[in-house]
Amino acid sequence: MDFRWDIVSEYMPYFLQGAGLTIVFSLVAIFIGTILGLFIGLGRMSEKKIISYIFVWYINFFRGTPIFVQILLIHFGAMPYFMNPVSPAVSLTVALTLNAAAYIAEIFRAGIQSIDKGQMEAARSLGMTKAQTMWHIIIPQAFKRMIPPLGNEFIALLKESSLGAVIAAPELMYWGRAASSAYYRTWEAYLPVAAGYLMLTLTLTYLLTKLEKRFNLS
Amino acid sequence: MIKIRNLVKRFGKLEVLKDISFNVNQKEVVVVIGPSGSGKSTLLRCINLLETFQSGEIEVDGKTVHFTEKEINELRKNVGMVFQHFHLFPHKTVLENLTIAPMKVKNLDKNSANEKATALLKKVGLEDKMYVYPDSLSGGQKQRVAIARALAMEPKIMLFDEPTSALDPEMVGEVLEVMKQLAREGMTMVVVTHEMGFAKEVGDRVVFMDGGYIVEENNPKELFDAPQHKRTQDFLSKVL
Ligand SMILES: Nc1ncnc2c1ncn2[C@@H]1O[C@H](COP(=O)(O)OP(=O)(O)OP(=O)(O)O)[C@@H](O)[C@H]1O
Ligand SMILES: [Mg+2]
Repeated sequence: MDFRWDIVSEYMPYFLQGAGLTIVFSLVAIFIGTILGLFIGLGRMSEKKIISYIFVWYINFFRGTPIFVQILLIHFGAMPYFMNPVSPAVSLTVALTLNAAAYIAEIFRAGIQSIDKGQMEAARSLGMTKAQTMWHIIIPQAFKRMIPPLGNEFIALLKESSLGAVIAAPELMYWGRAASSAYYRTWEAYLPVAAGYLMLTLTLTYLLTKLEKRFNLS
Repeated sequence: MIKIRNLVKRFGKLEVLKDISFNVNQKEVVVVIGPSGSGKSTLLRCINLLETFQSGEIEVDGKTVHFTEKEINELRKNVGMVFQHFHLFPHKTVLENLTIAPMKVKNLDKNSANEKATALLKKVGLEDKMYVYPDSLSGGQKQRVAIARALAMEPKIMLFDEPTSALDPEMVGEVLEVMKQLAREGMTMVVVTHEMGFAKEVGDRVVFMDGGYIVEENNPKELFDAPQHKRTQDFLSKVL
């Protein structure tokens, strides 16, 4: 097989730069998505029906439609109202964040509901408010149980960020497509990209395992 | 201290408390006994508003309670509760279990909260367990911590819901001992328990519940030696 290493080496700087941006987009999305997800998850559990209903539909929409569609809707539909010209990088990050928030909201809800009801009652019987109980008693315990599913969400997010290529957000996949269309070569363009994602996800898996061990010790 | 008038509590169609009225005076220890499902836990949970109720009135420390968030929290500062399954906070040390509520609810500073907590742990004989996590304690130790945690809020009334039912027999004594000491110090207590020995020794009054009613109440001697109602007699013949 005549594998053209020269293409790989020509595009290597772009692959590296793209991988860097993939990490940035994913990190921002998981970070803001976690915070948003907490509020959406709490809103989803609200006793007020209307509030709960709104968040249920937020979650339904982002979990029940392809993220590909969401990226296009956000980039071409929503973002033009907020910025001109629209930055694909921003669109991608927003789409990933809103999508991740929906999944993380459900992770939070599951985590919080997995905590024994007695914890809430014990704290409330000591005079603590609902908010104080949530913040000091329930969420810290739930968080520990949420680390594994949050890790999975992070890994999924990292891979989904490759869809940014279709709106020309310059992440790793984007440069694979660029190399492919410049030389009409498949292996040289996408093997390095695949290797890049694999390295990122394996590293992440390793770090998450360590984090879990650490939390289980304390 | 506690006045309950015509309390009715339903879970859906199931009427669990049917027109309950009874009082608890200051420094009195009232023991509630009765078969499983008779509504003992529900009654206790109504007193500190862990359950809502359909009708009736509860007055605690001279104030009729309503279900506003503010009044609920106010009431609970005065009413401590101890649960069958302890419900200690597993992510906090024993000391932190005792200090969190005083610090968050009463805005006590850390030093005074720690000081008071240390004194309480000494009182229940667990000052050497201050810095460990609840998971490493035995059942009896957990329940003593739970009692100390409730006391840290300086309640005027303590409610106990079968505090020794989840314990191995050899640990029941140490928990009852702490409760007896509390009673001697003049704490107002309502205790749901199957420990008839405790009821006889410490109880000022024993209340027998069955099927959502208070069937009979009397001082322990009268109630145990000369129960008036057939249902009380049947129940006592089974447990004594
Ligand atoms: N949250 C709830 N929802 C529906 N029914 C309930 C609930 N809690 C209790 N009940 C029912 O209410 C009745 C009284 O329950 P309660 O726990 O007060 O009894 P108890 O006297 O404490 O019994 P035990 O000795 O078993 O603890 C039971 O029939 C029980 O099934
Ligand atoms: Mg009960």
